[in-house]
Amino acid sequence: MTGTVLENLSGRKLAVLISFLLLCQLVCFLIGGLVAPMPANAQNILGTVCKDTTKVKNDTTKWFYNRGKGKCESVDLAQSDLSETDIVFAFQMPTPRESETFDYSRWQQNLIGVLQMDIRYHSQMEIKPHSTLVIDARLAYRNKDDPDDGWKLYTQSVEKRVLDCDIEIKSEDYLYNCTAMPLFELGSLYHDYYLLNIRLPVDKPDMNTHIGHVQDMWVTVINQNGGFTKVWLSLKTIFFPGIVGILIWFWHRIHLLQRKPVLLEEMLLTLGIALCILDLPIEYLTLLFDLPFMLLLSDIRQGFFYASLFSFWVVFAGEHMLIQEVKTKNSLKKYWKHLSAVILGCVSLFIFDMCERGIQLRNPFYSIWVTELGTNLALSFIILAGISTGMYFMFLSFMIWQVFINISKKRQSLPAMCSVRRLHYEGIIYRFKFLMLATMICAAMTVIGFILGQVAEGQWKWNDNIELEYTSAFFTGVYGMWNIYIFALLVLYAPSHKRWPANETNADTQILSEEIEFNRLPIERSEISSLTSFINKATVD
Amino acid sequence: MKCLCIIVLFLCLRCEAAGNKPRRGRGSMWWGIAKAGEPNTLSPLSPGVLYMDPAVHATLRRKQRRLARENPGVLAAVAKGASMAVNECQHQFKHRRWNCSTRNFLRGKNLFGKIVDRGCRETAFIYAITSAGVTHAVSRACAEGSIESCTCDYSHVDRQPHRSRAAAAANVRVWKWGGCSDNIGFGFKFSREFVDTGERGKTLREKMNLHNNEAGRMQVQTEMRQECKCHGMSGSCTVKTCWMRLPSFRSVGDTLKDRFDGASRVMMSNTDLEAPLQRNDAAPQRVPRRDRYRFQLRPHNPDHKSPGVKDLVYLESSPGFCEKNPRLGIPGTHGRTCNDTSIGVDGCDLMCCGRGYRTETIFVVERCNCTFHWCCEVKCKLCRTEKVVHTCL
Repeated sequence: MTGTVLENLSGRKLAVLISFLLLCQLVCFLIGGLVAPMPANAQNILGTVCKDTTKVKNDTTKWFYNRGKGKCESVDLAQSDLSETDIVFAFQMPTPRESETFDYSRWQQNLIGVLQMDIRYHSQMEIKPHSTLVIDARLAYRNKDDPDDGWKLYTQSVEKRVLDCDIEIKSEDYLYNCTAMPLFELGSLYHDYYLLNIRLPVDKPDMNTHIGHVQDMWVTVINQNGGFTKVWLSLKTIFFPGIVGILIWFWHRIHLLQRKPVLLEEMLLTLGIALCILDLPIEYLTLLFDLPFMLLLSDIRQGFFYASLFSFWVVFAGEHMLIQEVKTKNSLKKYWKHLSAVILGCVSLFIFDMCERGIQLRNPFYSIWVTELGTNLALSFIILAGISTGMYFMFLSFMIWQVFINISKKRQSLPAMCSVRRLHYEGIIYRFKFLMLATMICAAMTVIGFILGQVAEGQWKWNDNIELEYTSAFFTGVYGMWNIYIFALLVLYAPSHKRWPANETNADTQILSEEIEFNRLPIERSEISSLTSFINKATVD
Repeated sequence: MKCLCIIVLFLCLRCEAAGNKPRRGRGSMWWGIAKAGEPNTLSPLSPGVLYMDPAVHATLRRKQRRLARENPGVLAAVAKGASMAVNECQHQFKHRRWNCSTRNFLRGKNLFGKIVDRGCRETAFIYAITSAGVTHAVSRACAEGSIESCTCDYSHVDRQPHRSRAAAAANVRVWKWGGCSDNIGFGFKFSREFVDTGERGKTLREKMNLHNNEAGRMQVQTEMRQECKCHGMSGSCTVKTCWMRLPSFRSVGDTLKDRFDGASRVMMSNTDLEAPLQRNDAAPQRVPRRDRYRFQLRPHNPDHKSPGVKDLVYLESSPGFCEKNPRLGIPGTHGRTCNDTSIGVDGCDLMCCGRGYRTETIFVVERCNCTFHWCCEVKCKLCRTEKVVHTCL
């Protein structure tokens, strides 16, 4: 037992494996680009102004909607002499198309609402900057079998939002430019139809007084596309057993050894488990049950994955530092500086997420950004996460730089060695660098892809016939890439079972020098890679 | 040679004008819908059944009636769009000699009067603003859900309306798989179908109308603003969804007014001019629907560059709007109020065309000191104010 699979794999096998993985990568990208629709769909809904003639305004069994039997009496805001308490803005979603009444499918996963106001300029009633808008929002749902008026209360809340508007031409009948306000987030799209009723209460004398002359209210609802969920879940369903399988194989391999697993192997295992959790297609359950915590859960799963990936990189670089105190098993304690940066970042993001999406489980209309305190709190957590990410990457690049310095130092002593051993060491360094390169390429691709996605429009055209849905391709491509990356790590960094004498009888046509080089190697049980053994030897020399 | 050309062209225009006299503005009668009854009477009483006011019915061409029948709720939107356009036109031109006045709507008469018989700037604006109004109002109605037949497709290919059950299931599948497109797509397409019905694009005037209609629609489309929302991991921008928002109609009107001021006078380009003449010999064939919009107008002044898609075009100079001209349906500026301190077009010198003006002091009773809430003005006082009014002689 001399080292990992990576070092014992012949160049050709490695090439075959890599090209296979690249092919998988391409397939992932193309599935996203050609099969999947764009990740999310936005629907712009104009509020119907309904007249509420009831005396009691807090009756949650009375709903206002603009389509179907029992629809409300709609009025024109500009011409009415109503009191503001009698006005309800009704948003019935989804809107009908192609003469069909469309309904939401559970494949569409989640629903995010954004509120936009059209406010007319009026010289007697200008909007003060950062005035507070108070809305009484009620969300109801209905299913296909229910009658047209069978709306049931889903949630209800009186919320504040900050109205941020400006206007260029201050003249009557011109509209303010108001920024969109987040309204609600539903983590599950369990029901078929939803109805949102919004009132602007004036219970107190200073309530909703400086919000100008409201002309229209628009709600944009964003839902994940069913097709995208299907493609995404199929990818997960394919990846999950693959990763679980390779993880079992990897752990089995380690257990065959006579030594205890070393740190790098344990980190690899953690990374594999994190990926398994990320890949676990529990979204299938949303097709059967109402699970509003899915948004939060997917955040946590992703966060856990990133945390273990970042930790792995640190350990990976550290374990190849080439200056090692032998005999003692390295533990995570050595990396406390780096890991604390990772953990701090993750924890602050987690707290932020719990404050936003966690509370949204109870009240979908909640937003942390509306209060001064909440904004400061959220910002400080985000900044903290940003700082720790920056710290982490500084540590990491310093470590990698050190590794490369060490390697080039050792390289200078290479010409003094005998040619066979030199070839071997060069091979190992080459493959180590190769893997580092792969990591860098993966990370760079992710970043570049992300930036391109921000710059470019959602769709790219190759020619008239082929339209590439870039955003989806980016998501599936990146997702597939990290899966493949970790798959490759698990395969290549598993302990090799090759025993050198057996190599001679191998039918594979290997380059002679490569076969010979392994025979000369000293066998060290406590190390996972002969690279590190080489370092130790070199330091002894 | 050039001179000959122009003469030929002139003769051509003359004969076209003469030949088409009874059918002038054939595609524009629907404007009357803006004044025909309350919009409420246009809305469907029950799905599929449309109550159509006979006055409305008379203004529509057969194809427009069919479109209204096939798209319940659309008539109310068109009416709203038309009246929005009329209001906008009157707002934009309230200080000019031509103030976009509308006549009493009568059968067989055009809403804006005989001015649309001339291919002048004002006509260009009317066509553009009404077409923009329909595009805007129909897109809006789609967003409200009051038109149920808005299309869902992302591919902007003309599709015949499907009625079969299989097609319906396919539509639902499309929505559940990849969502639906913006509303403007339907608004644009519907406006082309509805507004451009009468314009076959054969004569120069019809080409002008088509161009201006298209310019109005393009204006609505290009003024749409993009809004985005980040909803990735922890609300970060790893996932960002964007959508387009309809512009306010006032800003569309403002831009179209700018286009009106910079409108270009055109004539037919030589190649296009010959084509219909040749076609006259052959059997009268319909210009294919798509090709209707594929033409290039040539600027009247060869030094100017040819008009773009969003530019307004006109064929002849505007008549003077100073004096009453019954032949063109111009009421003249007699009795218009003007601003004696202004040196612009709303100033009394220009507005009254040098005829002088009368100044009088009148008392007006109007609502004042109103307290506004977010929706409606509630309490107002009635004030008697003294006003100095200048009116043109």
